[in-house]
Amino acid sequence: MLDILNNYRSACGWFDAIYAEGESLPISFRNNHIYSIIGRQSSGFGIRANKETKTGFSYSNVPSRINETVRRAISLTRFGEKEEFHVPSAVPALQFEPYSDTIHTFSADREIEQAEAVIGRIVSAFPRATVDMGVGKSAGQRRICNSNGIDCAYRHSSYSVSISATLVSSDGLRLSISEGVSSLGPGNYTNTVDRLLWKLEHAQTIRTIESGKIPVVFTPKACASLVGIVASGLSARNVAKGISPFAGKLGEALFNSHFSLDDRPLIVESPHSYPFDDEGIQARNKTLIHNGAIAGFISDLKYAHRLGIEPSGNGSRGYSSLPAPSFSNIVIGAGERPFAEIIGGIKAGILVDQFIGLGQSNTITGHFSANLDCAYLILNGEITGRVKDCMIADNLFSLLADDMETSSDCLWYGSVYSPYLFFPAINFTA
Amino acid sequence: MRTSIEQYADSALDCISSLPCEYAEIRLGSGVVTSIILSGDQIDSVSSGDTTGGCIRILHKGSWGFVTFNDIDDLKKHVKTVLSLSKTIHSATPSTVAGCAPVRARFSTNAIQSCRDISIEEKFNLISAYNDILRNSNFIQTTRAVYNDRVSQSLFVNSEGSVLTYDKSFCGVSLTAVAKDGSVIEPFSESHAGYGGFELARHREESAEAVVKTAVDLLKAESLPGGTYTVIADQRLAGVFIHEAFGHLSEADFIYENERMRSLMSCGRKIANDTLTVIDDGTLPVLPGYIPFDDEGVPPRTTFLIQNGIIHGHLHSRETASMMGEEPTGNGRALSVMNQPIVRMTNTYIENGTYAPQELFESVDDGLYVVDAVGGQTNLEMFTFSSGYAYRIKKGKPGTMYKNVILSGNVFTTLNNISMVANDRKMFGGLGGCGKRGQSPLPVAFGGPHLRINNVLVGGGH
Repeated sequence: MLDILNNYRSACGWFDAIYAEGESLPISFRNNHIYSIIGRQSSGFGIRANKETKTGFSYSNVPSRINETVRRAISLTRFGEKEEFHVPSAVPALQFEPYSDTIHTFSADREIEQAEAVIGRIVSAFPRATVDMGVGKSAGQRRICNSNGIDCAYRHSSYSVSISATLVSSDGLRLSISEGVSSLGPGNYTNTVDRLLWKLEHAQTIRTIESGKIPVVFTPKACASLVGIVASGLSARNVAKGISPFAGKLGEALFNSHFSLDDRPLIVESPHSYPFDDEGIQARNKTLIHNGAIAGFISDLKYAHRLGIEPSGNGSRGYSSLPAPSFSNIVIGAGERPFAEIIGGIKAGILVDQFIGLGQSNTITGHFSANLDCAYLILNGEITGRVKDCMIADNLFSLLADDMETSSDCLWYGSVYSPYLFFPAINFTA
Repeated sequence: MRTSIEQYADSALDCISSLPCEYAEIRLGSGVVTSIILSGDQIDSVSSGDTTGGCIRILHKGSWGFVTFNDIDDLKKHVKTVLSLSKTIHSATPSTVAGCAPVRARFSTNAIQSCRDISIEEKFNLISAYNDILRNSNFIQTTRAVYNDRVSQSLFVNSEGSVLTYDKSFCGVSLTAVAKDGSVIEPFSESHAGYGGFELARHREESAEAVVKTAVDLLKAESLPGGTYTVIADQRLAGVFIHEAFGHLSEADFIYENERMRSLMSCGRKIANDTLTVIDDGTLPVLPGYIPFDDEGVPPRTTFLIQNGIIHGHLHSRETASMMGEEPTGNGRALSVMNQPIVRMTNTYIENGTYAPQELFESVDDGLYVVDAVGGQTNLEMFTFSSGYAYRIKKGKPGTMYKNVILSGNVFTTLNNISMVANDRKMFGGLGGCGKRGQSPLPVAFGGPHLRINNVLVGGGH
């Protein structure tokens, strides 16, 4: 690809390109039975050209259209924004690949057998349960090249399992719990199934608690959704646009000293890791909130230049879009006491696992409001049943600044590795 | 000159006409997308790109095999792949599909001003003019003005012998203003889109003006105390409500898969007051939910989901129709050729009632007028949706403005609590759409008249 692009060197100031290709094989189970098997193949390339400081962009997934695509990108530069940054020239090192050869040991027959056994286990514990499951593998490669001589590529692979079990009782009450896990190659997911069963078992009695300010513990899964509200403020893009509440607050302790947050693209076993970002910048682990203080922002080339900071290696894109700052793995700092000990000290409160409608509202300033799809009553330190038809609404930034605690035990949900978070008083409406 | 996708029709038919399976279909697509995104005083991106791709789906011994690919020139190879994949799976509860009479037809969007004939300059100037309106207040921190058009061709053939082609043009804008005063930041958006040409993007100045005004007004609005209120919903909120709260429940894959849902959603069951009628209609032209045929080659129809308070019908794909012994309704839709068709809505709305909107307000002594919708979500039994903003109604008159108004409740209870339906229905649809099973955003439209709903749970502070 670089050979063809180099023919256009004199037609523009700089260019960069991404080529992505991949294959995946997802198998899905619906309503306790195998439903479908899918083979996907895709590839495509995106070309960004900068001429007289202005940027244009075009893409295609038809290999023979590469010349047409470059010309289209160059012709669009006249409408583009003045962007005075340059593409990097330092060739990034390939320290690792988020890839495992074991992905080739994925066997559809064996995965189907395993999944059917899992469904059998859930249905024998809950005969009314309907289980949907997805098991799949994917593998591919990404190549980044530019007019400063970078031409680098890495392979990636991922094995993922998602399970969702639904119970509808005779009076119409509905309970649906989902769990999931992903890794570089096929693995054992018994722990994920155990966790799902635990959540179903403890939701069998309906309990109530009065409206007011009550103690709330969020599971790592709930935290993985909540953290997005904080994370969006840590993007250099939102800082540059003036819609981050953390703009100009570098070094300020905005939160409780028990709260820390990292972006870690170098975690070798995560499918969300990468050796370099989609603009060819070397990836590095970094702390963004250190003991409650804002310690940095994630950036791509464009917004790093705009803020006058070093690019953090978080430029992310598919082949059909321009780069934007994006997180790799978000790691929330763990605390000292285990989850069991934290809830042991709660007289009356709730454990929240799943929301409906979180993030629909204006969360820029930390405000959130959500119905509790799955939450449990904690009474005298014990989980005693499910609470439902209720909402919580508060300001996450104020909550994180005030009294709070993180547990010592952490779990992965998607690209987030999080402890349980405990807040002594959150607005609760039933 | 781009070759027409229609030329693949014969070879595609040939590939699947005598396969050893119950049903087979091939979908191919090719299109060009132009997108302009402006933000504040900056140009976020100006891009144009093309994609080509296809898929083959077969029902083999009761289970689905599906392959997707970019390379549409070697269909025979992809047919081999899908056959070999399908051989690995056997279902104990086999799926079946409802058959339809084969159809051969060509469709094309009726565009007044074809997007192909409009220069990028003109598209750029139009969206820049809207962006200038959006920025026209000292309180505006940033904006996001998006222009988007997608011009594509698609081909559908199946083992029944249907051959359908569609020259499609989708065009629209999305307008967002973010107002800021001290530490208070308030975004507000509107979007307009549909099937047609560049005319759909034109004349949106008033919408841009309304967006700035609302974003700035929200700076001064207070947060609403949580509690239970009598609510009057405006037309947009009525539309989002019926889409989220009842439309999804009517999707037969959910109903079929769950015994309890089958009884809750059985036809003939009375679930609301006589005044409530709910319709899904993919035949309505221009609106984002319009389809000449669904992604299983079935023509759309006007489906009454609720007629005068009584459940009247469900939304079906070929598969759910067959499994439930009902007729396909033309609701088997896929986001693109990269996705399998699943049961989806098209244009979903609450039909007009008999009241003048004023009568609804006059009936409320103390309540909320809840306007617009930012988004909504449901787990089938419970729903939440965020309104844009609300006004307190006292003695029939809207007063204080509130923000962060999140409505939540049980779907069936809330439907029963719709006590008055006005006669001023409007339809809405933009560049966004609906999400289900990882396929998002699928273009849909929604709408309704003003509604009065009793006893709605609203989240807020204490």
